Amino acid sequence: MKKVNTNTKLEYQAVVLTDSYQTRFMPLTHVEPRCLMPLANVPLIEYTLEFLAQTDVVSEVFLMCSSHADQIQKYIDQSKWVLPSSPFSKIHTLLTVESRSVGDAMRDIDARGMITGDFILVSGDVITNMDLNKALSAHRQHKQDDRDYVSTMVLKQASPLHRSRSYVEPACFILEEGTNRCIYYQDIPPVNGRKTSVDIDPELLGDVGEIVLKNDLIDCRVDICTPQVLSTFQENFDYQFLRADWVKGVLSSDLLRKHVYTYITKDDYAARVESWQTYDGISQDVLERWCYPIVPERNLLEDQTYTYESQHVYKESDIRLSQSCKIDSCVEIGSRTFVGDGSRIGSSVIGRDCYIGKNVIIDNSYIWKGARVEDGAVIRHSIVASDAVIKENVIINPGSVIGFGVVIGKDVVIPNYTKITKNLFKEKKRIKEEHSDATSDFGNETEGSSSQFTTTTDEESTSAATSEIPSESDSGEENTNNTTRENIVGSDGVGFLYEDDERYNGMVSQMASLELSDVSIPSSTITRRSTKRKKRTMSSTASQAAASEEESEDFEQEAIATVNRAMENNYDIDTSLLEVNTLRMSMNVTYHEVRDATCKAMLSRVDHFIETQTLGVKEAVEKIFQKWSELFTRQVFEDADQVDLMMIIQQICSGLDPKYGSMILLYALLILYEQEIIEEDNINIWWNSEDSKALNRVRDKTAKWIEWLAQAESESEGENENESDESEE
Amino acid sequence: MSSSEHKLDILVDSFVNKLKRRQITGSYQVAHETCQFLMRVTSSSRWQSPEEFIALIRSIGQRIVKAQPREFAAGNVLRRVLALVRDEISDRSASASADNAPVNTAMFRLLVPPPDKQEQENNAQQGQNTRKIERKDDLRSIVIQGIRDLIDEIASVHENIAQMTVEMIHDNEVLLTPTPGSETVLNFLLKASLKRKFTVLITENYPNDIKLCHKAAKKLAEANIETVIIPDSTIYAVMSRVGKVLIGARAVFANGGCVTASGVATACECAKEYRTPVFAVAGLYKFSPNYPFDRDTLIEVGNSGKVLPYKDSDLVGKCEVTNPVLDYVPPEFIDIYITNIGGFSPNFIYRIVLDNYRTDDVDFS
Repeated sequence: MKKVNTNTKLEYQAVVLTDSYQTRFMPLTHVEPRCLMPLANVPLIEYTLEFLAQTDVVSEVFLMCSSHADQIQKYIDQSKWVLPSSPFSKIHTLLTVESRSVGDAMRDIDARGMITGDFILVSGDVITNMDLNKALSAHRQHKQDDRDYVSTMVLKQASPLHRSRSYVEPACFILEEGTNRCIYYQDIPPVNGRKTSVDIDPELLGDVGEIVLKNDLIDCRVDICTPQVLSTFQENFDYQFLRADWVKGVLSSDLLRKHVYTYITKDDYAARVESWQTYDGISQDVLERWCYPIVPERNLLEDQTYTYESQHVYKESDIRLSQSCKIDSCVEIGSRTFVGDGSRIGSSVIGRDCYIGKNVIIDNSYIWKGARVEDGAVIRHSIVASDAVIKENVIINPGSVIGFGVVIGKDVVIPNYTKITKNLFKEKKRIKEEHSDATSDFGNETEGSSSQFTTTTDEESTSAATSEIPSESDSGEENTNNTTRENIVGSDGVGFLYEDDERYNGMVSQMASLELSDVSIPSSTITRRSTKRKKRTMSSTASQAAASEEESEDFEQEAIATVNRAMENNYDIDTSLLEVNTLRMSMNVTYHEVRDATCKAMLSRVDHFIETQTLGVKEAVEKIFQKWSELFTRQVFEDADQVDLMMIIQQICSGLDPKYGSMILLYALLILYEQEIIEEDNINIWWNSEDSKALNRVRDKTAKWIEWLAQAESESEGENENESDESEE
Repeated sequence: MSSSEHKLDILVDSFVNKLKRRQITGSYQVAHETCQFLMRVTSSSRWQSPEEFIALIRSIGQRIVKAQPREFAAGNVLRRVLALVRDEISDRSASASADNAPVNTAMFRLLVPPPDKQEQENNAQQGQNTRKIERKDDLRSIVIQGIRDLIDEIASVHENIAQMTVEMIHDNEVLLTPTPGSETVLNFLLKASLKRKFTVLITENYPNDIKLCHKAAKKLAEANIETVIIPDSTIYAVMSRVGKVLIGARAVFANGGCVTASGVATACECAKEYRTPVFAVAGLYKFSPNYPFDRDTLIEVGNSGKVLPYKDSDLVGKCEVTNPVLDYVPPEFIDIYITNIGGFSPNFIYRIVLDNYRTDDVDFS
């Protein structure tokens, strides 16, 4: 009766990485996760799930969520995929808030032991019409023939400069002729003359006949994996990226030396939305029907009613177009949208409930649902997110991104590559994120701006320890933002300029400024997820509760020793971070314990300095914390973590000599605050918490500072003098 | 009660999703799967009266048409079943009021009774006999039996159509078929080759059917039919030598027009120019009671990648590419429809449609 599945009943699990662990779509991903961003008015995740559904062999789907996990969960719970008629027997959303990279996510899912066999690993932003069954049968064949086989990468052929091929993360694959076995993977270095060669270890080519070097593949991040993939991730906990670390490592390391195959599809369509450039390219591809049958009138969402009209125009029911408006080719318009007289729309996607006024020109732009474009506005090659308002005669130049709910005032001209957000979500956050970028990017050079905090000299901090709070850099930025606010959105507008890392500028490729980074969105999101997180940590550790008790003891000793060693020998931060992280992974402990151990090590060293009278209290704290508090950037992620950290320090300080315990606490907090590891709000939470009040002994010195903080907040920045007075104490 | 409704929902949802995902494609497969699906719906659904059942089927029809508006066969099968139920109801009320035999209004039925109509009448008669005993279960079993007959009919379409080969094809004739993807045409030709010797010109129908064209040509050649593959561009040039044009229809409308593979309209136009007769072959399940008012919506536009290789970054995005998969052929281009219930002129299609479907069910909404 039912359509017969492939000869035997084969079922696969699928792991969908909903997070990209990147910030390419900032500032929009600050509000909404990438996988819920609409492409041709359908959330990206739908395309991925539809692709999995199409294969007919996927039984269980795991969605790995870290940033905005609550939104994804909510979306999935309301979608058709949870209905009994869904082609998947189960769909799980797994919260892995702590994941900072693909590697972390893989380790997490392995730790949960939910993967029972071969699985399909896809990222939540794949758009494809390919028939995975062919790739799956290739996978089965390889598995049978090759003992060392671990996974198959599915790739799509296209020319190197194709619009839906990412310019941001190009890579070339070195394959064995004939068998499609991947011998080496190399992300292509910048082409501005710095380095244009690919180094291959000759040993790798030892037993290979002919090789092919391919730079014409779209890597759509669809991998068919054996469970060994997870275990190699687990064993090599420093692996962050799927390609740059894992594939490279697996292929070249002597220990692993596994075989990874590729499946190259020529006729099918496959691409990944990984940058603004590919977002644009893929949207156009979908409208131009390259991805048929994944086209708008397929109506992936149940309530959609798109129909096709010639010249690739897609209209939903219940739209109002004025008589004299002109709809050029490749346009999609959602229902309840109004387009006024004399407007002209071409190569664009307009969401539902939009209002487009008279004589508006929209060219190759993406207007998300509920946006309002008033008379005479011109929008070219830009994105206008949901509920934004573009007032009369505004001109938006190519490459701009107008964030959710932004209002652009009358007659404003938005220059090229401008990103505007509604709320100024703390600039310092961003810097911190860049900061963590630098630390997460082992081996990569840190960019100038990110090191500005770590290199603060001793003198500066002695005099300005407390006056740092609205420091020049911070207040300066605030000021410039206030001034640009007027310029950028006009006097009747709402919105702030979002300053990018200048790396992935707009939709155009900037090969020269290319940099592989893995900045995670999670670090920039401030959501109340602490309860969920706790639940999770508990569940993941509960199983080994008995064992972990002992382990944590060991861990504490080990970790303290590690940090001490690092401080004594003055290792660089990256190495120490890696060591501590390694320890955490191998012992399987929570971040709380890591923080605890790190603090203990650091404070005992401070204590040591003071006791032996080598240094004064303040100097000792500064000496240690200035450099080593950077460790916390990889141990503290959320608000709750910050509170926890402060609590740990307070506890340790209260155990120290009462003469200087409270001093240490104050200075340590000052430095942490200065380094943006802890935030004002969380300081208040900590200060007012019962636990903290209980340890009253060390609170006296800090109390003044807290007072000052509150004061500084209520008053404005112009009070630098008072602060320095306070700091003299 | 609720659990059975729940089951029904799952049944309907998964069928609609399959249609949407094109896991069921092609009118033959769609018709067959729809029958199987309806069988399950009929046996698992609960209804008190025939009217309720009709409403249920109509609501399913609405969803199916929305999911895949161009797979007409699914809608046609539903309409056939609805007609069956309605016939049964009217028979009952007629015999309940008095035992006067239902007046046979169809002129055509008096002259050439179509085989499936006879079956339906048989069913109705069976129903009349047992009616007095049990009414509801009786209707259910009648519907199931009707669907079974429909399945048989669909399964034997090719054989029934092929019965007419001897009358239609002459020895040493040159035939041209611009629909290499049509199974019905292929079967027709294979069957004909048993009795007749002829040449087949088969068009490539680039780009959508080219693989099917090669497959079909191989099959024909294996059956010792002289087969020539010609490019689409040469249709006009060869038309002067062609004796008959044979096309397979995807769907036939009440006005006698049909939807078929793209490029066929051109071939028919050429044939008209040379006064070459055009035969269209189609099973009864492809006959739709709809009229092709909006021709743009009938024509599906397919994968642009088949026209221009996607990897060509110089052209992709810089020129517009359209790849219509279907063509509408107006009735005046077709000389005769060869169906499993005989050959008919396009002018007569409305009558066949009237005989098989009830006008109430033309539109599901």
